[in-house]
Order: sequence, then structure tokens, then C-alpha cells
Amino acid sequence: MEQKFNTSLVANFGPAKMLPDLKFAEMEPGWDCGGGTYKVTKEEVDKFSKLMGDANKGEITIPIGMIYIFGLRICWDRKVFLDGAIRAGDKISFFKPAKIGDTITTKLSIADKKEVKKEKDGKVRINKFLYVDMNATNQSGEKIVDIQMSFLLPATMQ
Amino acid sequence: MSKIDFASVQVGDTLSSKSLAVSQQLINEYADICGDYNSIHVDVEGMKSNTMFGGSTIAHGTINVEPVLQALCDIEGRLWPAEGSRIDLQFRAPVKPGFTIVSNLVVKEKKTEGGKNILVCDMKIQNKDGGDCAMGSTVIVCP
Repeated sequence: MEQKFNTSLVANFGPAKMLPDLKFAEMEPGWDCGGGTYKVTKEEVDKFSKLMGDANKGEITIPIGMIYIFGLRICWDRKVFLDGAIRAGDKISFFKPAKIGDTITTKLSIADKKEVKKEKDGKVRINKFLYVDMNATNQSGEKIVDIQMSFLLPATMQ
Repeated sequence: MSKIDFASVQVGDTLSSKSLAVSQQLINEYADICGDYNSIHVDVEGMKSNTMFGGSTIAHGTINVEPVLQALCDIEGRLWPAEGSRIDLQFRAPVKPGFTIVSNLVVKEKKTEGGKNILVCDMKIQNKDGGDCAMGSTVIVCP
């Protein structure tokens, strides 16, 4: 579907092989999921702030919520959200403010994974967790925000 | 925008909260921004026959986080949380159209480290009518 909110998504980048191409055993920490580069305009900040009832509209600082969701947009382009995966939580660390006109680069990579085995009635259920880093920087290479997303993947039985 | 007075804050205090009324229109417009048109978010008719979420669409997970993002800025008196500020949250329950979600921050620890005034808080994002949608903790670097 065409996106009606046309932020200047300059480019996506990354390996041809994407996360859905990997088996869980191949999802190793540090694996490059790619990323994207974009700019946010004042018009878009005003529209987002109005939507979210945020009194910060009209300022040159981009609301953190916009960095968050443009990161998610790149996640969709890079197929980071796997079929059947459930968002379990996020860890967000803040650094330098993002400003209107900044060229923002978001990079995605696998942070970690783990399996949790639970035995019941002679069967072993394996819950699988995947952790993906979403790191945003400005045109000077300064960190803006680091977000680590955790996903619960479909369980398997042994 | 308010700014917290670090000296007057006590452990156990509830800090400034922010709320967001979630409607289907807001979810639709949010989808336009993030490009996530998953049917669980935008297919109102289709989701009526889906029992997983009680026949309703649900908001994008990041909409749930918005009140606490705004609350952090408000508490710190900044447009962007200071370097060192953190949020760690786990999603607990879906947010549906008609919900009004509210951030709830309660001071658990107050300290000064490296010249920075820091509050560590237990954090919840709750539906105004009851129920936790997300919970976790925040680290707030006060002015």
C-alpha cells in the first residue's frame, strides 16, 4: 500500500540475504540486517505532533516517537519483523537530540538470541527469543538513540 | 512543559504523567507514517471475526510507548531526553481503539552520579479504565 506520509526516505541498504532467509541457528549476534537513511521535515514533525497531542510541535527537535517509527519503517523494508513473531519489549537509550534537517541513519543488527526449554507431559516446548538492535545516528556519526527490540518467535516442540 | 525539581522529589512519588486517546483514526494515520498496514491494526471488518483480540484491531506497539516518551521529556523539561536517560519496557496487553493510555512513573531510587541527578522509576503504561498495557523501568536524568 502506498504510504501517505512521505518522509524523505533516501535509501535503504544492506545484504541481499535478509532475516527471513536465516534459520534460527544461523541468527548470530552481530549479523547485519541492513538499514536506511532519511530526513524528517518540519511539516512532518508538525503533523506527527498534532496526531500524538504533543505540545512540542513547531520546535526544531524531532520527537523521539518519530525516530522510533521511521526505524520501524526501515525494519519493514528490511523484513526484520518475522512471520509469527510477537514484539515482547524494547530497551531505549537516549543520546544526542535529532534535529529537523538532520540526515539520520538507522542500522539494524542481531543483538542476541536465546532458547528457553519448558518440559510438560513428556514434551519439550522451546520458546525462542530474538533481540534486534536499532541504532540511529546523525550525519556527523553522533548517536541519537539505541533501541533494542525483543521478539518472541513461534515455539517449536521436541 | 514542566521541569522536575530534583531536590523536592522523594522515593515513592508519582511523577508527571501523559495520556493518549487511541482511536482507529489515530491507528490508521500512524500506519501511514510507519508503513505498517498489518490487518491486525487496520482491518476493522476483518478483525471482527478474529477471536485473538476480542474482535478488535489493536494499536501498533510503538503507540503504547508514546505517553512515556512524552512524559520523560516533560519531567526533564527538555524536548529530547538527556543522554543517559533510558526506558526498559515489556509489552503486557494490546491497546485497542477506545483505550486512553496513561504513563505512570513512580520513583524507586534517587541518586547523584558523575554530577548527574538521576531518578530510577518503576514504569507502567495503563489503560485509563484499568489494566497494564506495558511495564518496566525508566532512568531519568534530571536537569
